[in-house]
Amino acid sequence: MLEVRSISKTFNPGTPNEVRSLQGVDLEIEDGSFVMVIGTNGSGKSTLLNAVAGTFLVDSGTIRLENRDVTRWPEHRRAQFMGRVFQNPFSGTSPALSIAENLALAARRGRRRGLGWALPGRLRAGMRDAVRRLNMGLEDRLDNAIGSLSGGQRQALTLLMATWLKPRLLLLDEHTAALDPKSADQVIQLSEEIIARDRLTALMVTHSMHQAAGLGDRLIMMHRGRVIHDFRGPEKRRLRAGDLLARFEEVRRAEQLDEAAAAMLERVYV
Amino acid sequence: MSLLIGAMTIGFILSLLALGVYLSFRIFAFPDITAEGSITLGAAVTATLLVKGYGPLAATAAGFVAGLAAGTVTGLLYTRFHINGLLAGILVMTALYSINLHIMGKSNLPLVNLPTVASEAERAGVRLLGRDAVELLGWQVSARDLSVLAAVAAAIAVLGVLLYVFLGTNLGTAMRATGDNVQMIRALGVNDGAMITLGLALSNGLIALSGGVLAQYQGFTDVQMGIGMVVWGLASVIIGEALVGTRQLGYAITGAILGSLLFRLLVAVALRWGLNPNDLKLITAGFVFLALVLPGMLARLAARRVRHA
Repeated sequence: MLEVRSISKTFNPGTPNEVRSLQGVDLEIEDGSFVMVIGTNGSGKSTLLNAVAGTFLVDSGTIRLENRDVTRWPEHRRAQFMGRVFQNPFSGTSPALSIAENLALAARRGRRRGLGWALPGRLRAGMRDAVRRLNMGLEDRLDNAIGSLSGGQRQALTLLMATWLKPRLLLLDEHTAALDPKSADQVIQLSEEIIARDRLTALMVTHSMHQAAGLGDRLIMMHRGRVIHDFRGPEKRRLRAGDLLARFEEVRRAEQLDEAAAAMLERVYV
Repeated sequence: MSLLIGAMTIGFILSLLALGVYLSFRIFAFPDITAEGSITLGAAVTATLLVKGYGPLAATAAGFVAGLAAGTVTGLLYTRFHINGLLAGILVMTALYSINLHIMGKSNLPLVNLPTVASEAERAGVRLLGRDAVELLGWQVSARDLSVLAAVAAAIAVLGVLLYVFLGTNLGTAMRATGDNVQMIRALGVNDGAMITLGLALSNGLIALSGGVLAQYQGFTDVQMGIGMVVWGLASVIIGEALVGTRQLGYAITGAILGSLLFRLLVAVALRWGLNPNDLKLITAGFVFLALVLPGMLARLAARRVRHA
């Protein structure tokens, strides 16, 4: 369903700030699989997600979604297939609009937006039920501006919005990295529930070894703009956080980093 | 009293300008200078068509459509050609100056003894009231002035409600979200460039409509009439926000209308007290500056006081 063929992307080409973020990435994701993406800082894992979402156009290679070549499609057009949750909890919602209005926008993702009333009664009733299931007590605050909510609440709502219309592909970009541990747990649990309930195809970037080992049925590890490991099936199920750390250690040795950098890696990733 | 009625009538007419500025500045956070050209464009198109013998309603509607076109051009310069928003507005405003002169054929176009929306309202009002003067709060008021005011107020109320309803539709909600969070609205499948272009078109349409009605009320169109209008509109929006105290949609629209009304009343009183009309724009600019800067300064002062306490 998602087919990425040798895509490359270089930012600021020909300048001192040149960054070769993606260097020929191949990736094929079957319907219904839940894929974790991990990697060192600057490995291109978020860039890969953004390339699929269409935040920028790739320099070379092709991206196919639902058997359509979407390589040159603008972001808003690809959105009909995709739900997205960003790392920054403030990115996925419109703070000046109410909870209900934000959900109403999500209820027409990728559809025509005409002069119909944005908040018909039917939709509101559905919203109350869906928001109640978040267990955050927000169902009585549907008319409050989203800007007044906490990061965790906003991220939970963004997840609800991204999956309101069942997306063909759900993109989660380190969506708990900016949350406090308790909210992060809540949002992860919610993500698991929704993905399992709707049998969604999902691609999730994470910084956390524990999330990477514990979630999903496939894991790809990226480094320097390439996929260096791809664990599936039983291999993925056996994988523990410690194994992943060992893989990063291998990468470290290969790169002959010094001990200080290794200590930093450990601090960041464990 | 007739001074007051005149000020209120102009206030209502220019509240369309305030609503247009509210759309571009507040909803899209887009500093749209096109307004200075499009208010004159609306006046020029409307006046020229009236002189050519078209009916007042048709001429006014044509002014509105011309404004839509002007806003669309600014929107396309900004979204398709990636020209800085401020510059896109300046380019269109400058181009409109020549276009307006071409439309009018000269720099000032009087509308004496032509049927206008104002004269139609006067006629209807006098027929309805059956006399030339009415007593209002102890004053003798011209029935003509009063009927124009009533007609303009009713029209603005209808347009305000229409705008509110429009911004509550799927399309309108997407427009509001575009100004608030572009990243999110793209991820929800909305073409943000199209939303901004549509918003600027609507904004300039309202502003041109304001110009067209103003020309008919004051009885002439002048090619210079747009100068300073953006700041006037902004002043009205800011006064309105202070009046209603919230940026919630319905309140904000009401606020922009009330703000425009209050602003014109303040101007009328100040002029009556002997303010030099030449200083009006300087004082308005100073007022907007203070309104933009004061809230932040007061907040800093309050924070310092808390820290010292």
